[in-house]
Amino acid sequence: MPSTYDIVVIGSGPAGATTARVAAENGLRVLLVDKRQELGAPIQCSGAVSRHALEEVGVPITEEFIQEPIYGFGIYDHQGSASIIDYRQMKPDEYGTGDGKKPLGYVVDRRRFDRYLMTLAERAGVETWLKTEGLGYTPNGSDSCEIRLRRFNEDITVKAKVLVGADGLQSQVGKWAGLRTHIKITELASCLQFVVDRVETSGLLEIITGHEWAPGGYAWVFPKGHGYAEVGLGVICTMTDKNAQWHLDHFLQRSFFKERFADSRILEIQGGGVPLAAPLRTQYADHLILVGDAARHVNPITGGGIHTALSGGLIAGRFLAKFLTTGQPATAGNLKSYQDAWLEKLGDKMWQLYEEKTQIFRTNDLEERDRQLYRTMSSYFHPESEYKKI
Amino acid sequence: MSHRDPVIFQIGWNACINCGACVAICPQEAGFISDFDTIAVGRPCDIACMLCEDICPVTTITHREVQKFQIDEINAA
Ligand SMILES: Cc1cc2nc3c(=O)[nH]c(=O)nc-3n(C[C@H](O)[C@H](O)[C@H](O)COP(=O)(O)OP(=O)(O)OC[C@H]3O[C@@H](n4cnc5c(N)ncnc54)[C@H](O)[C@@H]3O)c2cc1C
Ligand code: SF4
Ligand code: SF4
Repeated sequence: MPSTYDIVVIGSGPAGATTARVAAENGLRVLLVDKRQELGAPIQCSGAVSRHALEEVGVPITEEFIQEPIYGFGIYDHQGSASIIDYRQMKPDEYGTGDGKKPLGYVVDRRRFDRYLMTLAERAGVETWLKTEGLGYTPNGSDSCEIRLRRFNEDITVKAKVLVGADGLQSQVGKWAGLRTHIKITELASCLQFVVDRVETSGLLEIITGHEWAPGGYAWVFPKGHGYAEVGLGVICTMTDKNAQWHLDHFLQRSFFKERFADSRILEIQGGGVPLAAPLRTQYADHLILVGDAARHVNPITGGGIHTALSGGLIAGRFLAKFLTTGQPATAGNLKSYQDAWLEKLGDKMWQLYEEKTQIFRTNDLEERDRQLYRTMSSYFHPESEYKKI
Repeated sequence: MSHRDPVIFQIGWNACINCGACVAICPQEAGFISDFDTIAVGRPCDIACMLCEDICPVTTITHREVQKFQIDEINAA
């Protein structure tokens, strides 16, 4: 007899670990699996997340995962003119390092962060298995589904009422259910970043726009703690005939920051794909829902996905806890309300951002496009922005 | 969509940074993945859209074309 759970979660990133924790806190029997031996590694992320995003989902802010506190943003146009949004200056009573003051957000170490999130889930009663890969699922009539796993070379089948696909951007779980998960090549940024020594930063997330530096995307310089920085960029391949590596070298050696980078030493090399795309139109199937990057819960302008993975996890965990007490079968039709709940809380705003982004890249005139992207990024990070919270 | 012959990919592991972008863009069916979380190597891809090569930030994916009739032999081996 296979073991039976209320829910099985595949993937212990921010989305999966949060879904699992919240579901267990609300009384469900939960299994959380991840194929990695060490969560978060190899790193495919810069780790910037707002304080609000952590507080909202009840993640205690601890030294264990913080690399550096953040107090604002610097947005640059292609020539280096900047709009600086420093909360230490704009709201000095609230933001800063003194007594009773707080940072706006943090750069976290994804290895430590993901491990911490899994620990929270585990402490809430979730059963957690590392080195366990999800291989497939079969819906079993109306009351459950069977999930095939491989754990340290052993094939194991478990049963659950709902399978949660939180397996990130490379998601296979959605494909198992035949969902349309495909991302367009014009909407997936190819990213590369270096963690470097000897590049000064000042508590700001710096974002550099301009087709010359990062066609279709943007470049960034983030503080990384211990005097280190992250320098990286993402490009859309259809807008350049060079790869991200070439563009990053070009940015380091030719941009208005070249003096600042002149002494830099590379300590780590990381990369990944960042979807500047809309959420999946269908994020549920019989006995299955998707959350986080797997459902493309990613901000289509910034590419940021930690906040949306965490809050998507909260929505999914709460939804499942409530839904499963009703005793209704977890058919696609019934699980649609998960997506409705998500759209209302986050998704509709993400669709608006997607329209805005699409509009900018529809402009063929490069100078005009650069201007629009700079303007949009600057207003996006402004304290009055209606999108501030995603 | 493509009228090309199927391709078999090779990955220069020395340059691969294990970023997963090739898998993220790939429209193949579930499981077309190597043991190192890249697109599959050593078995043919009949879609041959080449998006995986395009998205790779360090251009470390290369391919050779195989004729459709050769695929059975490869699979048999
Ligand atoms: C270069 C780069 C920089 C970024 N910078 C930022 C940033 O600064 N701020 C920000 O907010 N976002 C950033 N992002 C985006 C962010 O990393 C993602 O949105 C976020 O990690 C999504 O979380 P998730 O839980 O959905 O998925 P993931 O974090 O990808 O977790 C998925 C988990 O599923 C596991 N898994 C996958 N398949 C299986 C399987 N079959 N069986 C078992 N386990 C499986 C994986 O091992 C992994 O642990 C960046 C992304 C990139 C590529
Ligand atoms: S050619 Fe296309 S379908 Fe084939 S592996 Fe590459 S991305 Fe996937
Ligand atoms: S896209 Fe390139 S670097 Fe990234 S995992 Fe695939 S082969 Fe490796």
